[in-house]
Amino acid sequence: MIRLVVDPLTRVEGHGRVELQLRDGKLVDVTVRLLEAPRLFEALVVGRRCDEVPDLISRICAICSATHKVTALQAIENAMAVKIPPLAAAYRELLLLGGHIQSHALHLFCLILPDLYGTPDIIELLRQKVPLAQAGLDLKAFGNRIQKIAGGRVIHPVNPVFGGIAYQPGHDELEKLAKELLCWQRDWPDFSARLLQLDNYPEASPVIGTAVATGLQDEFALTGDCLWYGNDNVIAASDYAQLFAERPRPDTHAKDATGKAGPFLTGALARDRLATGRNISRNALADHHGIHGNNLAQVKEVGWALHRVGQLLETLLRASRSEPLRTDLAQMQGGIGTAAMEAPRGLLLHHYVIDEWGTIVAADIVTPTALNQRVIAAQIMADLTDEKDHARLREVAERIVRAYDPCISCAVHLVTVENPSSLSDYQ
Amino acid sequence: MKFVPPIKLAWLRFTSCSGCQLTLLNNEDSLAELAHVVELHNFPLLSSACGNAEALDVALVEGSLTSPGEVERLLAIRRKSRLLVAVGACALTGGVNAMVKGERHKAMVSIYGKAGAEWDTFPPQPIHHFVKVDGQIPGCPPEPHELLQAIAAILHGGWPSHQVMPVCMECRINENRCLLEEDCAPCLGPITQAGCDALCPGLGVPCEGCRGVVPEANRDELYRLFITAGLSEQEIRHRLERFGAAL
Repeated sequence: MIRLVVDPLTRVEGHGRVELQLRDGKLVDVTVRLLEAPRLFEALVVGRRCDEVPDLISRICAICSATHKVTALQAIENAMAVKIPPLAAAYRELLLLGGHIQSHALHLFCLILPDLYGTPDIIELLRQKVPLAQAGLDLKAFGNRIQKIAGGRVIHPVNPVFGGIAYQPGHDELEKLAKELLCWQRDWPDFSARLLQLDNYPEASPVIGTAVATGLQDEFALTGDCLWYGNDNVIAASDYAQLFAERPRPDTHAKDATGKAGPFLTGALARDRLATGRNISRNALADHHGIHGNNLAQVKEVGWALHRVGQLLETLLRASRSEPLRTDLAQMQGGIGTAAMEAPRGLLLHHYVIDEWGTIVAADIVTPTALNQRVIAAQIMADLTDEKDHARLREVAERIVRAYDPCISCAVHLVTVENPSSLSDYQ
Repeated sequence: MKFVPPIKLAWLRFTSCSGCQLTLLNNEDSLAELAHVVELHNFPLLSSACGNAEALDVALVEGSLTSPGEVERLLAIRRKSRLLVAVGACALTGGVNAMVKGERHKAMVSIYGKAGAEWDTFPPQPIHHFVKVDGQIPGCPPEPHELLQAIAAILHGGWPSHQVMPVCMECRINENRCLLEEDCAPCLGPITQAGCDALCPGLGVPCEGCRGVVPEANRDELYRLFITAGLSEQEIRHRLERFGAAL
C-alpha cells in the first residue's frame, strides 16, 4: 500500500490536502481534507445585535466577503420582513457582480492560467510578459474597482448596511465605470477566445454530482428564493436543511453532508447546466474537459456579468439622487430568516434565528466548498482510476481540486474538519 | 540593512480570512514589477513553487495563532527570517475571531460536534505573544499600497514612516462631517490609528476600529461621548471588542 500526499494544495484559497491510496499501483481511495483553523463564527455571532453581524460574518472569507455580507443582510432582513429600496438592491447587486468578476478573474488567471502554460505561478508568466496574464490582472482590477465604488472597500465592503445601503456612490465615478465597461465589453469576446484556445487540460471523465443552484428564475440572477437541483427539481431556499441534511451527528465525527438527492455539485458549471436545462442560457457549454469545464463556465459567466453590470449602470446613472437608500425599522423584531446566494464558487446559504430584541440566537452557514467536498474526492477517483504515474497522480489530483475553485476558509464551517495535529504521522 | 534584489520572501498564513494576502494581489498594476524584485517562498495561494529556502529575507505573517502547531511553524519561520512583519488585524490583535466568549471547548463542540472536543486549540493570539516582530501593517484589511510600501522600504533598508494619530485627524484634514457629533454614530475614529485616510467615515460609515488603538487614546472620553450619544453600555462594549479596543 502506498500513500501519496499533496500538502498543502497550492493555488487554492485556504489550507487543504489530498491523500491518494494505491494498492498494487492502482488508486483505491481518495481523501480530501480541509485543514483550516477553527474560527467559530457561528458561536461568535450569538448574542450580538443582528445589524452588527454582517460586518463580522464577512470576515469568514476575503474573496467572498461581499457575498457573505450581502447574504447575511438578506437573511436578517428576511427574518424581519424588511424590504430594501430598489436603489439599494441595485447597488448591492453591482457589488456582487464586481466580486464575481474579481473572483473569476483571480481563479482563471492567477490560479488556472499557470497550469495552461505549465508554470508554477502567474509571477513567472508576468516575468515572461505573457499578454493574457497582465490582461487577466486588468480584468481582476476592473472587478475590484466595481467593488470599491459600490461597496466602499474592495475587501470587507462597508456600503451595504441593515435595511439598504449607507451612501450613494458619486455620479462621475459611475460614469467612469460605464466608460471602462464599454472597453471590456468590446474586448472580452476576443480576449476570452484566446483564453479558451488554451485547452491544456488533463483527460477527464464525466462530472459527478447533482447540480444545485439558486437564482434560476426567468432570468439568471445571483440570488433567489428557491433552490433548483438535478432534473428541474425545486425546493424553497428556507427548506435547505431538508435537501442537504447537513447536521452534526452525535454518534460519529463525520457529518452527513448530503441528503438523499446528493452528493451535490455547485459552482459555475452547475449553474450553467441548470440554466441550460431551464432554457435561460442561450448556448450550452460543449461537454468536454469534465470538471475542468467549470473554468469554461466561469469564462462564460464573466461575459454575462459584464452584460449585467452594463444594465445596472444604465439604471443607476438615471436614478435620482434623492431616492431612498435605506428602509428604517422603528423597532427591532424577532424572526427566522434564510437567504440563498450564488457566490462565485457556488451556492451559499445563511440562516439566522433572531429574538424579539434583535439579538442573534442561532446561526447556520452552508458554503459552496462544503457542498462540493464529497464530489471532489469522487471526481479524483473517477478521473485517475487508470493513472499509474505518481507524479502525474499528484499533479492531476491537485488540478481537479483547483478546478472547483474551492474556498477552504469558507468551507470549514460545516464540514468534517480534521485536527491537523492528529495527522502529523502522515507528514 | 539593505537587500540585494530579488529578496527571498515568504507569506505565512495562520488563522485568518486570507484578506491580507489577497490585498497584496489586489495591487494588480504592480505585480509585474514586484515579480522582478521578490523571489517567492511558501506562498501557496499564489504559487506551486513553494521554495523552502534555508534562510529568508522577509516573512510576512497573516492571521492569529490558535494552536500549538501554528506556534511551532511561526517559531521555525522566525528562526530563518531576517525580518518578520505582522500583517493585518488578526496578526496584530487576534482580530474578530478573538471575540468568541466563554469556554472555547464548548464552542468547538457546539459547532464541530464531538470531533471539536479533541482539537488542540486556544483562543486567537496576536503573533507578538510568541515572537519578536520587526514591523506591523495594521487594518482589516490593510490598504493595498501599504504592503507595497513596506516591501519597497525593506528593499532600501528602511521601514515606511507613519504618523501616530487617530483617524479623527484624517477626517479633519479631509473636512469630513463628524459622524459621532452630528449623527450620534458609534464611530471609533477618536481612538483608532490613522493611515486609511479615514476611508469609512469619509463615506459616511462610522469607523469600526480595524487598524487598532492609537497610543495614548483617550478611551474614557470616548466612553463618555458614546453614553451622551445614547449608546448602551453593551453596545459600546460590543463595538470596542471587534478589534480589541475593549480592555
